[in-house]
Amino acid sequence: MRNSQFAIPFLHSAIEIMTPFLLAAIGGLFTELSGMLNIALEGLMLAGAFFCVTFAATTGNLFLGILLGILCTMLLSLLFGMTTIYLKANVFITGLATNLFASGFTVMLAFQLFGTKGVIQFPNIPRLPVLMVPDSLQRIPFVGDILFGHNVIVYLSWLIVAIATVVIYRTPFGMRLRGTGMNRQTIVSLGLSPGRYQLVGMLISGFTCALAGSMLTIQLAAFVPEISAGRGWIALVAIYLGNRTPAGILVASFIFGLSESFSNYAQGTIRIPSDFILAFPYLITIVAMILYSVWRQSRRGT
Amino acid sequence: MKGKKKPGDFLASLTGLAITLLIAFGLVVALILILSKTPGKMIYYFFLGPFTNTYYLGNMLNAAVPLVFSGLGMAVAFKSSVFNLGGEGQVYAGGLAVTLVCLGLPSANGFLGGLLAVMAALLLGGGIAGLSGFFKVKWNVDEMISSFLISSIVLLVVNYFITGPLDDPGNNMLASLPLAHQYNLMKLFSPSKLNLSALFAIAASALTFLFMSRSHIGYEMRMCGLNREFSRYGGIKVSRYLVLPMIIGGALHGLGGGLMVLGTYQVLYKGFSFGMGWNGIAVALIARNNPLGVVPAALLFAYLDAGAKAAMLNGDITFEIASIAQSIIFFFITAQILSDLARKTRRVK
Amino acid sequence: MPYLEMKGITRLYENGLRANDAVDFSVEENEIHAIVGENGAGKTTLMNILYGLTRSDSGTIILDAARVSIRNPQDANRLGIGMVHQHFKLIPDFTVAENVVLGIEPVRARLFVDRAAAKANILEIVSRHGFSIDPDASVRDLTVGQMQQVEILKMLYRDSKLLILDEPTSVLTEQEIEKLFGTLRSLKKGGRTCVIITHKLQEVLEISDRLTVMRKGRVVAVRRTAEIADRAELARLMVGRDVLYPLVRMEKKRGRPILELKDVTLTQRGRGQPLLDRINLTVHSGEIIGVAGVSGNGLGELEDVVSGLRRISSGQIFHNGHDVSFLDTGKLREGGMAYVPANRLRRGASLHASVMENLIVSNHHRFLRAGFLRNNKIFEYSMELIKSFGIHGKPRVQIGTLSGGNIQKAILARELTSTADMVVVCEPTWGLDVESSQFVYEKIFSMRAAGAGVLFISSALDEILGIADSIMVLYRGKMVAFLANGRIVRDNQHQSRQLKEYIGEYMLGLRDDFASVGTEKKETQP
Repeated sequence: MRNSQFAIPFLHSAIEIMTPFLLAAIGGLFTELSGMLNIALEGLMLAGAFFCVTFAATTGNLFLGILLGILCTMLLSLLFGMTTIYLKANVFITGLATNLFASGFTVMLAFQLFGTKGVIQFPNIPRLPVLMVPDSLQRIPFVGDILFGHNVIVYLSWLIVAIATVVIYRTPFGMRLRGTGMNRQTIVSLGLSPGRYQLVGMLISGFTCALAGSMLTIQLAAFVPEISAGRGWIALVAIYLGNRTPAGILVASFIFGLSESFSNYAQGTIRIPSDFILAFPYLITIVAMILYSVWRQSRRGT
Repeated sequence: MKGKKKPGDFLASLTGLAITLLIAFGLVVALILILSKTPGKMIYYFFLGPFTNTYYLGNMLNAAVPLVFSGLGMAVAFKSSVFNLGGEGQVYAGGLAVTLVCLGLPSANGFLGGLLAVMAALLLGGGIAGLSGFFKVKWNVDEMISSFLISSIVLLVVNYFITGPLDDPGNNMLASLPLAHQYNLMKLFSPSKLNLSALFAIAASALTFLFMSRSHIGYEMRMCGLNREFSRYGGIKVSRYLVLPMIIGGALHGLGGGLMVLGTYQVLYKGFSFGMGWNGIAVALIARNNPLGVVPAALLFAYLDAGAKAAMLNGDITFEIASIAQSIIFFFITAQILSDLARKTRRVK
Repeated sequence: MPYLEMKGITRLYENGLRANDAVDFSVEENEIHAIVGENGAGKTTLMNILYGLTRSDSGTIILDAARVSIRNPQDANRLGIGMVHQHFKLIPDFTVAENVVLGIEPVRARLFVDRAAAKANILEIVSRHGFSIDPDASVRDLTVGQMQQVEILKMLYRDSKLLILDEPTSVLTEQEIEKLFGTLRSLKKGGRTCVIITHKLQEVLEISDRLTVMRKGRVVAVRRTAEIADRAELARLMVGRDVLYPLVRMEKKRGRPILELKDVTLTQRGRGQPLLDRINLTVHSGEIIGVAGVSGNGLGELEDVVSGLRRISSGQIFHNGHDVSFLDTGKLREGGMAYVPANRLRRGASLHASVMENLIVSNHHRFLRAGFLRNNKIFEYSMELIKSFGIHGKPRVQIGTLSGGNIQKAILARELTSTADMVVVCEPTWGLDVESSQFVYEKIFSMRAAGAGVLFISSALDEILGIADSIMVLYRGKMVAFLANGRIVRDNQHQSRQLKEYIGEYMLGLRDDFASVGTEKKETQP
């Protein structure tokens, strides 16, 4: 009895926790497939977190707020994309720049608008709606409690993953995007512009990261500086761990969701210093990376 | 195009740098004009504040010191085509190493104890980074990601030490017990925090330059950085140079952190070095990975911080304006277009 | 009225180089036209302009009596111009069908790629022209000849009327070349026009109707192919003087074994067949052993294992009697190995490093003092090499700024002046002009005369026949023929074409007997 009492809320929150990872990673997948290393998922998520909640609070309308927040975040990703693609800057550095910019800009704006550099509460902000499902589904034992009862963005993220899969593998855009990442010269020789596909990929990542960030702040009804807390980096790792496919990213994000959920629960109950528990996701990631590399090497016979 | 490498390229990258700085400073001015109620005063303090007295100036120079070390660490790594993304943790760990040694030897000779502390910082920083290098050689694990992950863990572990075993119960700050007095590095420009570590920084820059450009190992490292396949073909042991640059880079980062504790703070407090790792990357890039150029590049970054601090202390601009300016520099500093343009307009033939 | 006219095309590069200098070029409808010239003559630049990959600085293009402007490959495609590049522009992980339709994908419901329609269209073209390609095959699994067919498919899918092929035969065997020519002739019959860029004289004479000779960015001659007497005349037009002279290979007595391969095998997990399958070979002092084969059949792998860059899975390698099977490149070099790699721009040189730094990579230990390099001594050494090998470049410049020929000279200077007795040379004249190629051969001969054992790996059969004392043929990693060259050439003086076809059959695996012709030693059967 105690096991299932622990397991169900544990898994339920894992699904919720994994959503920002999933969203950021699926957007990042588009940039990755087009051949651009995107380490700005963290900064874009942070920007999205700030802008979405701020606009939602000031307009009083959740949908409008998130929309405006997404637009602002996409502007930032546009800056990232333009400097990298058209000014030919180093993609790694511009990614760092985006993160640095998001950190500084959000705090600066927060100070200008709300007078504080610390936590900003938005008590009157509308709550994220929870998707209502018919009772029959909700009552399915075990699965029902885990999969249902989440807020809208969780389900939206699954929809986005499905759409992304179709787009990447079944549309001309997806083919050309992958072609750009695999063999840029070929795309050029066909008269297509690789930069265009990379830029669109970049904008898509801005879109999904904004959504990811919005979930963090709107649920909390507050903005905390650096609320992204490394999730963007974990999302980047999820892309690689998921072998650069939407399905793999789904699995990897779930694993990270599990890990963070576990560390949340463990912090209360298990007697390990909190810092070590926070380090847990990083630790399992690096162990996973090593194991994966060892496995791959043994397969190749080197 | 049978041109020589040096003069034209150098000038072109300087022009690129100039344009970048212009954009960054332009944005700062724009932001000040928009956000401040006393823009004129803010602009004055931002750009000239650090030079108005020895306190600001000394602190600015002192702030550049850790940037020199992490910049050198990144320059060595970049020149070897190795990506050390774990600078933050390596610097922080250097501080921890120094603190552990000094707290462990409260009554030892200042010079010898300090030497031991510094060596500990080198070893710990180098070891942490070297771990990533080892993973790369042994199992082909991407060193960029692994160094970042390890660094993230290290940050948390050091935090544990600060708030746990090393915590100073006497005060409410998140800091360790203070180091004994004999370990304080000599101050240069009292009352500012500038100290002996500044001289170490300059020496390190010169030594690194000599090492990379003239030494045997430096040659092999650079060749591996330029073309690993060629180097292997030529008989160089490439795997050695996947690990060594990480170790050297990590050691330099650790040294920077350790000297910050010995020279500036005399105590290990939480977050004392945050940003040093990331900014080291920018410093190396501005300096085009040239160890000698790291010093002026570090000064540039420290100048931005100092200006923002001066403006903040004297008005209504937040300190974050420095990171915004720094991020703009990051955005444009590697834009090849800028230096390509500069190179094209020079070639009037 | 010619179908295509390019008038007064000029293309200037930043450094003053005139890649095209007031070039007038015209092609009749329905002909096969060859553009001939040495490397650097401007042929590819001209066609890149026609295909929209580059802009000309001045000049006009008239297609089918209408003046046209071609700013990018899509413009060219729209006008019915297609191009097959020297380095294939294919995406290995995509299928044939995906590669062919990329850029003009057929769509279903305005959103999705219509794979069925693509496949149907491609199959139709494939059957019409007699290609042997499966649209669903992954390009990575195709042979080089098939990849070229995919490139041609791309053009036919876009219904190109004018097809440009850049050095199409440089990667093909004799048989595949015949097949290609057959395709070109059928395209011609189908009403299309072809332009071939090439420097292979024999092929020009065989396939083209008319030809244009370019030299140093200018057009120097336009002829009907039937009017050209022989290769020599063509070569004279190309270079401006008589250049084809037969190589003089002196008889040399064979000495002790320098390099021995015993049952050398290289396998890779995931590949059913071994990449190298029980290779047995001996190279003696004063001997040049040629290794012939189509690229992808083990030539590159042989190069890698002999030079220590790749470890063999089983078997043994001996150098002067010592077992060196597991030594790395550094140790092999110390033991007296010199290695000129096939991939000269990535493996043989570090393009961003200086000439000096390139020249000393394998022997920089000689210039050390207390752990530091002595730059002035290195400079002197570099100047000596530059002089004796006639390299046009200074020690401190980036080697990437030198021409391909000079980079190769630098590589040779580094490798062939060492005291090595085991010399591995791979594709040494690929892309070099006639003069530079002659220079390479002479240097190799002098190493041979000095007593070195030379392993000469090349996919250019002409070259091997001219150089090697004995020839080994590799097919799918196996040694399928071993021929003592001197005997063959003497016996078949008038039948070199048939000889090349004979060897070519082994290269393509069309014969499954083992040929051991004219050798004194008995080679073991594979």
